[in-house]
Amino acid sequence: MKADKRFTLYRIGISVGIALLIGYIIVFIASFPSTDIAFMKKMKEAFDSANEAYKYFLTGALIRWRITGAAFNQSGFIQWINEAVPIIITGLAVSMVFTAKQFNIGAEGQMFLGAAVATAVAIYFPGIPFVSTVFVIITAMAVGAGFASIPGFMKAKLKASELVTSLMLNYVAFFMGLFIIKTFLRDTEAGSLVSLEFQQQAMLPLLNERYRWHIGIFFALGMTVLVWFIMKKTTWGYKVKLIGDNMKFAEYSGINSSKMIFQVQVAAGAVAGSAGIIELLGYHGRFLWLYSPGYGWDGIIIATLARNNPLFVPLAALFLSYIRVGAKIMGRYTNIAPEIVAILQAVIILLVTAEAFLAKWKQRSINKEATQNEINAMPVQVGDTK
Amino acid sequence: MNEMLQGILSWDFIAAGIRVTTPILLAALGALIAESAGTPNIALEGIMLISAFIGVIVSGFTGSLWLAIIFGVIVGTLMAAILAYFALKLKTDIILAAIALNIFASGGTIFFLAMLTGDKGSSASVNSLLIPNVTIPIIDKIPILGEILSGHHSITYVAIVLIFVVQYLMYKTPLGLRIRAVGENPDAAESVGISVVKTRFIALMLSGFLASLGGLFLSMGYVSWFARDMTAGRGWIALAAQALGGLNAFGVAAGSFLFGFTEAASYSLQIFDIPYEFTQSLPFIITIIVLGIYAWRKVKASGKLNVSNSSVGPTEK
Repeated sequence: MKADKRFTLYRIGISVGIALLIGYIIVFIASFPSTDIAFMKKMKEAFDSANEAYKYFLTGALIRWRITGAAFNQSGFIQWINEAVPIIITGLAVSMVFTAKQFNIGAEGQMFLGAAVATAVAIYFPGIPFVSTVFVIITAMAVGAGFASIPGFMKAKLKASELVTSLMLNYVAFFMGLFIIKTFLRDTEAGSLVSLEFQQQAMLPLLNERYRWHIGIFFALGMTVLVWFIMKKTTWGYKVKLIGDNMKFAEYSGINSSKMIFQVQVAAGAVAGSAGIIELLGYHGRFLWLYSPGYGWDGIIIATLARNNPLFVPLAALFLSYIRVGAKIMGRYTNIAPEIVAILQAVIILLVTAEAFLAKWKQRSINKEATQNEINAMPVQVGDTK
Repeated sequence: MNEMLQGILSWDFIAAGIRVTTPILLAALGALIAESAGTPNIALEGIMLISAFIGVIVSGFTGSLWLAIIFGVIVGTLMAAILAYFALKLKTDIILAAIALNIFASGGTIFFLAMLTGDKGSSASVNSLLIPNVTIPIIDKIPILGEILSGHHSITYVAIVLIFVVQYLMYKTPLGLRIRAVGENPDAAESVGISVVKTRFIALMLSGFLASLGGLFLSMGYVSWFARDMTAGRGWIALAAQALGGLNAFGVAAGSFLFGFTEAASYSLQIFDIPYEFTQSLPFIITIIVLGIYAWRKVKASGKLNVSNSSVGPTEK
């Protein structure tokens, strides 16, 4: 068991390493100069600029490189933490449904629509500090849960694949959300399509005014503990896990599987619903998404990396937002587009979820541990027989 | 109301419907083959996107239409092969592997577009080629019939022919039999000497091949450029069309036409003050409703509620 866990960690490490290596090769090719100079010189130049780009990519979120030396990058650090907030929350939501082996990938839509509807509350609800913030978040969660109940119901009662329905609903949520903002909440004085500004009292308190470091991270971490408790320490969570592990066995042991399937999707929808509005309440102060920001999809990556364990979700999210902030900073100093992160993400998911990747090595290390345990167990057994 | 009907029932509307249906149909036929083998391919969206991108880039930089088509198809099929390799050989969950490929396609095409053209939004600066339309001689002279049958995009005709080819392949050839056998009962298929992995590999690659044609159509026929995320959910609609049509190519084609014409209708309806957001989400809402009715009828027919497996859902372990 121990070797198994250690192996999982190694595999994640190796996958990340391979992804970074592939990224480096791409950056290297992208920075290959097209000028007419000797080949070796070209190689050297490409290496230099690729190294430079990767320096920003891997350290940019924390270190500000100046000619005089390196300094702590406060804005990068805050951006790193802030960007992790929504994806921690969607990561938790996805890990919940994935634990039940329900491929509900509607977190994106739940998050988007939840944020759009809650925007109305944030604008019009009387501005009472704390109370209105809580009310806005609850609205978003209720919308997320309500929207998630559609694929949940269709799966539980009609056996319709939640994969397809939740996906279709992502598009519906996107268009509905935009419609709500455009028709009812639009700030007509602003140049682009944005909502009116939120009431000041509804906004999240800030830890740093200049770079708008908001307390969303504590909300996300609190949510992590809550989801961890529900999934790992309650009967309900255990039932969800049982359904995911072995549906037939769960049914034989008297669990109403359709009820559980419905409930877990709705619960995850509530969690996902709060992901978007937190960022708006903390950072932007109004609804401004013209494209769906993709946090629901990030949630899938994060849940996968965290192996659906809620406690690992913040780590995976912090990792993802770290390389993203790094990529953006790299994009600012070099001509490498930050979308390169998508390529790294794909490689990481593929390798981390590949059961057979490095499996021989895994078997060997498990065997080794087993033999060792046998040896260790010997004297104890002798002692026991007494 | 009358005006609205006229808008919907014009020849332009039918032509638009056929145009919109083409990429959905091709991807849906791909979904059919993959689903028959028991390995749902939800990377169709990404495969289409990559092929659309490759088609534009290769034709823009080489000036050769054939090279563009060949590379577009090869890269699309290769994507499916990667999916197959990870799912079948490395035992990655096929849904997660496909999601990874979709993420790769969405971000990767933007990255390489920026790298090659300096523009992240579209390939407007690339002088890419179009795959031509086909005018059928004689028939195009016949009124009405000529308008319906002639003058479509070459890939549209290919797609129509492929409906029959896929149906024939699946139900009249040894390969089709093997694919269905592997999908229905892999253990039984294995016991009579069919290689499950190899057959599924072939099925997934065929689905990638079909989806890549759909992608080429998008960027070299439907429009003449590549734009970020230009597939806009067509790969997913194709999956829904397949779910509707079941494992029969004609049924899948009917499903694809339903979605294609719904989408075309949503464009026609835009003239009549119906909010853009509503018409845009119409195909997705209809998909959900139809899937719901379809699933409900299936549940009623089987007479028993059993949630343990789903039609396009995750693979059982």
